[in-house]
Amino acid sequence: MSAVVKTVNLVKIYQDGALPVPAVRGVDLQVEPGEFVAVMGPSGSGKSTLIHMLGGLDARTSGEIWLDGQRVDTLSESAWALLRRKKIGFVFQFFNLVANMTVGDNVELPALLAGASPKVARERRESLLAALNLTDRAGAAPAQLSGGEQQRVALARALANEPSLLLADEPTGNLDSRNTRDVLRLLSDVHKQGQTIVMVTHDARVASLADRLVSLFDGEIVDDGRIARRRTRTAGEVIDLR
Amino acid sequence: MSTALAGSRWIKADLRARKGQALLTVLAVAGIVAALITAATLLEDGTNPWRSLSAQTDGAHVWLYTKDSPQVALGGIDGVTQTAGPYRSAPVTVAQDGKKEPAALRAMPATPPAVAHPLVAEGRWLDPSRPDGVVVERSFADSLGIGIGAPFTIIALSGERHTLYVRGIAHTAEQGFYPEWTPGLAYVLPVMLDRIEPMLGRSEWVTGLRLADPEASQVVSQRVVVMLEDRLQRVYTWREVRSAMELDNRLLGTLLGLFGVVGLVAAALALANAAGGRVLGQLRDLATLKSMGFTRGQIALLLLVEHGALGLLGVAIGALAGWGVMAAVLGASSVAPIPVLAIIVGTALVVLAAVGVPALRGGRTPPIPDVPTGPPRGHLSRLARLALLVRLPPALVLGTRDAFTRRVPAFLTAFGLAVPMMMITIGLGVWATLDNFLAHPEQVGQHAALYVKPDKLEPVVAERLAGQDRDVAEVYPGTDVNALAPGEARSVRVRAIGSSTRPYPFPVVEGRMYARQGEAVAGQGLLDLLGVKIGDRVRLTVGGTPLIVRVVGRTVEPEQDGEVLSVGLDSLAAKDSVPPEYYALALKPGADPAEVRGRLLAGSGEGLDVQAAVNPADRLSIIRIVIVALIAVLALIGLANLLTASALGLRDHAFDLAVLKAMGLTPRQVMATLVTGTGLLVVLGVGVGAAAGVSVVTGLIDLQGHTSGVGAGIGRAPSPLTLTVAVLVAVGAALAVALIPARRAARAQVPVATR
Ligand SMILES: Nc1ncnc2c1ncn2[C@@H]1O[C@H](COP(=O)(O)OP(=O)(O)OP(=O)(O)O)[C@@H](O)[C@H]1O
Ligand SMILES: [Mg+2]
Repeated sequence: MSAVVKTVNLVKIYQDGALPVPAVRGVDLQVEPGEFVAVMGPSGSGKSTLIHMLGGLDARTSGEIWLDGQRVDTLSESAWALLRRKKIGFVFQFFNLVANMTVGDNVELPALLAGASPKVARERRESLLAALNLTDRAGAAPAQLSGGEQQRVALARALANEPSLLLADEPTGNLDSRNTRDVLRLLSDVHKQGQTIVMVTHDARVASLADRLVSLFDGEIVDDGRIARRRTRTAGEVIDLR
Repeated sequence: MSTALAGSRWIKADLRARKGQALLTVLAVAGIVAALITAATLLEDGTNPWRSLSAQTDGAHVWLYTKDSPQVALGGIDGVTQTAGPYRSAPVTVAQDGKKEPAALRAMPATPPAVAHPLVAEGRWLDPSRPDGVVVERSFADSLGIGIGAPFTIIALSGERHTLYVRGIAHTAEQGFYPEWTPGLAYVLPVMLDRIEPMLGRSEWVTGLRLADPEASQVVSQRVVVMLEDRLQRVYTWREVRSAMELDNRLLGTLLGLFGVVGLVAAALALANAAGGRVLGQLRDLATLKSMGFTRGQIALLLLVEHGALGLLGVAIGALAGWGVMAAVLGASSVAPIPVLAIIVGTALVVLAAVGVPALRGGRTPPIPDVPTGPPRGHLSRLARLALLVRLPPALVLGTRDAFTRRVPAFLTAFGLAVPMMMITIGLGVWATLDNFLAHPEQVGQHAALYVKPDKLEPVVAERLAGQDRDVAEVYPGTDVNALAPGEARSVRVRAIGSSTRPYPFPVVEGRMYARQGEAVAGQGLLDLLGVKIGDRVRLTVGGTPLIVRVVGRTVEPEQDGEVLSVGLDSLAAKDSVPPEYYALALKPGADPAEVRGRLLAGSGEGLDVQAAVNPADRLSIIRIVIVALIAVLALIGLANLLTASALGLRDHAFDLAVLKAMGLTPRQVMATLVTGTGLLVVLGVGVGAAAGVSVVTGLIDLQGHTSGVGAGIGRAPSPLTLTVAVLVAVGAALAVALIPARRAARAQVPVATR
């Protein structure tokens, strides 16, 4: 079975005025189906840049990106958009729920966009909100929700199109520990159901939930190690216990 | 399909979140479109009643008045297909409710003629079994306020009274509407006219000529002038009738058109501003949508549909309203479909273009929603530095800084307020001009407030009676005659009043007043008609006698489309000027014309006919209603701009509010900061708009005056007081509107990490 996502010598150089700012410098990364990869590194090491490129939100400078065996770095902006509808779910640090839409509509939107019929989209929304314990908040506006609730909604939204790859950029970066725990439990739940996840984080404890830890420094991978299954489970239990 | 569904969800949600602004947008656009359609319809020929009246009555194209029944074969003139008449016509006075109106009593057969047959609108045509029946022309009947069966008392030249009964009310295309066109017209059977006015010498004969080609009316009337020579009293063509009927429509149409076109620009700006501001406020949401899989084109389309739909809804409502009003007022058939369609398509394109630019920009949003989309910051504008220098409170400094951080929206806001304010100032100027007509009638040629006709009394007695009244300052004898302009083959009005050495004080705005016999002053319409300038010689014939005068000045002339030549009585041949037809009475300041009239009537034992002059402003009072409506629409546009500006200001500040509060600003100061930001733009826009309005308003009104024949020199700017009040109200209302959201924001608990 081929990798869900694979990069070959991926490079991103921002142009800050006349000054070139290399953010990602030759990253080779391969993520297998069902894997949960945590990306760590100090601030400015290029984590966000990398994950944005994986989802096509930012164009690469050079190198290759493959998604489900298809080369995608050469795609146009709109071809990327069409691809995102079907294959990618994004979770951001600041939730980014559409402010004018209700929680329910926020979740339903990606499903509709992915081509689900209104009825199917509705069903997905119900089941996701139920799984996230948010059924009674479906009619609320995002601003009425706490940060943790908003991030859970954002997660539901990212999963609504049943993506083959879930990308999360510091999903717990803006949450207190209680909410962090809730969101992490959800992430590990969907991971157990076979969801492939790439998650950027600052927090070692959050990263310990993953199967595999990739460390970035100055735009290069300096460490790529599998975390022992056992530890994962323990970590999960520890978190569950908190 | 799936995108359309997802997109429509988003649009619905967004519209729900900004109902007020959306409603304003729709109303503003609707108002403008309605104004444009009304303007086009009024300016379009279709509203001119002449066309359909002429078709319905098989109207004649040339009308001529002779002293006796014409003995030449007028029907034989090249191009003449049929003739109407000659009919005998006698001048009479209609006495109705104490008023006396001049009328021409026309003898017509019981069987209506084939050409120029009056169109009976109510009641029936004349019937030989009821010889005391009279059919009255529609506008004359309306002006008299009489209906079918009403008594119709007429006073013949001999002073004898006759009572007829209104049998029918009819339309005709042979003359303009009363009272713009005098005398009024009424038809009786020939036997009745013989009884009322047995003296053939006191009547005229009227003949209408129907032409194969209406455009040939000029040539034909020239032939008539040559053939009839001095037996011809006057001649006019369908063109004069048509322009007499359109007088008020044109003025209103021009006003509405001007306001509509400029208003459309303002509305387009407001739309672009609203859409742009909204897009700016939603960059994060748009980025999020993109990260979910909306493409750049789809986002642009989404925005175009959302904001465009509001505009198009406005266009639709406005079109319906405009069409509805016109159809109700003028009848459905008078609304020409082509210009209305053109306006709908044109405004729709303007709407789409206005929202297209921000929509495209919205589509280009990068899909990474975490990039901060706050305002460009970090520098204090020069204005803000100035504010700091003069030690303004911190809130004002911050507000001043904010006013200009976003250049384009700041410009759009100020400009978007300036344009409506300019138009409002112009509207107020028109209002002031009308007020000036009323306050200073002498500036529009109405120095005399009353006109006295000797009626039953000897002219000398009438003059003495009028001169003896304590409130009468001056008595000017006068006579109005029709003169033929030979080159033009049509009649113009010559008003002989006062004497050349003691002239009636016409409002001469160019050149000088006449000072001796053989000099004259004229209205703009006459100068244009005859193609003469001040200083030129004009040759006319009055009842066969040549009248040669030099035009030495131009007066403001609100009558007869300005096609009036004014001279001293001594410039006219004695046969035309003695005795004078009327006496114009200039009253002493503060005298009440109605009171003087009552006294004169009583003093003469009802022997005098005393009429009050009709101020042109009274006829134009509908303009005031139009101005009020237009100001309302313009205020809506300004309001829409303002909401955008304050929403944008708030959004830019959402991030700063917590910081401002942490810095120690009280809610009140935070509010002041927010309001200063928009308030500065408001003051700038309103000030510039009012200044621009004041600088163009007199010129614009004079231009309209020039084209309508009245002539330049009537325009007035709104008074400083009115203008100050208008500016204060605009700024005050704007600040009040900006205050509400600012207050809410300042009060709200702002979490430190809003993003
Ligand atoms: N749009 C941009 N233009 C110019 N430089 C950029 C841009 N975005 C990121 N950079 C630079 O690229 C480098 C990597 O940024 P990136 O946001 O990927 O870091 P990060 O690892 O996500 O950091 P953090 O942990 O703070 O989120 C930084 O030096 C940053 O300044
Ligand atoms: Mg980052």
